[in-house]
Amino acid sequence: MMAALSTHALVAGYERDLPIVRGIDFRVAGGELVVVLGPNGAGKSTFVKAIAGLVPIHSGTASLGGVDITAMPAHEKIRHGLGFVPQTENVFATLSIHDNLLLAADILPPERRKQRIADLYAMFPDLAARPSLRAGQLSGGQRQMLAVARTLVVEPSVLILDEPSAGLSPKIVAEVFARLKAICAGGVAMVLVEQNVKAALAIADRAVVLVEGRVRHEGPAAALAGDPVVAELYLGARRAETVP
Amino acid sequence: MTPQVLMDGLVTGSMIGLGAIGVTLTYSILRFANFAHGEFVSWGAYFALAVAGALGAVSGALTAPIAPFSFGWALPVAALVSVALSGGLALLVDALLFGRLRDRRSTVIILVMASFGAALTLRSLLEFIFTSKPAYYTKALQIALPLGGGLRATPDQLLTLGVAAVLVLAVHLLLTRTAIGRSMRAVSENPQLAGVTGIDVRRVIRTVWLLGAGLAAVAGIFAGLLVQIRPQMGLDLLLPLFAAAILGGIGSVPGAMLAGLVVGLAEAVAVPLVGGEWRAAVAFVVLVLVLLFRPQGLFGRAG
Repeated sequence: MMAALSTHALVAGYERDLPIVRGIDFRVAGGELVVVLGPNGAGKSTFVKAIAGLVPIHSGTASLGGVDITAMPAHEKIRHGLGFVPQTENVFATLSIHDNLLLAADILPPERRKQRIADLYAMFPDLAARPSLRAGQLSGGQRQMLAVARTLVVEPSVLILDEPSAGLSPKIVAEVFARLKAICAGGVAMVLVEQNVKAALAIADRAVVLVEGRVRHEGPAAALAGDPVVAELYLGARRAETVP
Repeated sequence: MTPQVLMDGLVTGSMIGLGAIGVTLTYSILRFANFAHGEFVSWGAYFALAVAGALGAVSGALTAPIAPFSFGWALPVAALVSVALSGGLALLVDALLFGRLRDRRSTVIILVMASFGAALTLRSLLEFIFTSKPAYYTKALQIALPLGGGLRATPDQLLTLGVAAVLVLAVHLLLTRTAIGRSMRAVSENPQLAGVTGIDVRRVIRTVWLLGAGLAAVAGIFAGLLVQIRPQMGLDLLLPLFAAAILGGIGSVPGAMLAGLVVGLAEAVAVPLVGGEWRAAVAFVVLVLVLLFRPQGLFGRAG
């Protein structure tokens, strides 16, 4: 089965002589949810930003549905079916909810824009309630929903989210993750970078653990969740989970 | 002080406002103060002068004044060509200089210093080609028409106000009602997020240059029509342009225009009181007062 997204020996970083991502082989299939874990500074965010075109790739390749996207500018990757939700500042705060969605829809054929935005409003009714509200006035969870909705406007085949649970309450995280799982079940390949290990492993099919820019562990999420050595060494999970 | 000061201020202010729109767009989207922007004003005026001269040489009928204005059909046609050429010049400067610096992730101060260099180069080139001797689109004299309330204005001045109003409205609608306008606002807020939303940031940057330089060219043509054409005319307007862009609130097109009118009026009111040699100081005082008391400008947001 062809991967929806794959990388081969990917080396990336802001400076050529100081790579943060140091040769990562990675793949995710349609409908699969892969969570990328690792300690701070492991290169998780840099890895997904490099795929999205926000950090220079120095060597190796990235492919989207068999198309080489290694040297493609960010906006072209979106047109080829990649969706990326950054960790912070992931909505246009000065624009309205509707304008945020319209921005993404502008790359669709004109006859599809209206329907697609209506579809997204149906999927995210909270957003439909106040379309003229400035995105900057939304709560953290609503912003995350808007960021995901905006990314889904163009019906990406692969959706990458960089720490979507950051700054959200456990209740909102559960809501956001349930939505993501449902989107993934619709056939979208999903890559989730997360610090919230327990919640992420609970919804993921597979997990990849990065340490110092390299893949250190890879396997089914359930297996990784139950591996005390991995949890202790790379995720800090045991200590976190024992805190009352 | 006579009511006529109001009209003089509005006319000068409309030219400042048109130029300030380019400054504010460049500042908000490219994130640096482009001190070469005044040169697009001068080059716009000279492009129109050259094209109008060439058209006049082809057919003398094109220079015959269109009543009630002081100029013939050669100038409006030349103005359209000038807007296109000025936009092309801005794209060329970006391709040769600013674009390369952006690609190298140069700091803002490098871009600002480069804009000083670009300004000097462009101005020197104008002096080399056209000399520093003042030039005119027309030598025809116009009688100012009484407008009531002690105000008088020539048809050329009224045309300047009308065209400025239409252009500001058009740019405002472009920014608020069209896809490219939405893209410009998005890039202004967060260029990286704009890229991963599918917006071609380079295309937006090209649009900003075309729009800013085109409007600067119009300002230069009206300045040339109402006063005179000199290689220094853009430099003389630079401080008022920045004062208006900052007073209006960076990124706000209506703000830049309104602030342009405020700066123009301030100059018109102050010059009879303090003398013409202090004209530039008026814009400077406005700029300092805004930076001290409302740095976000009239239409900007605090913080």
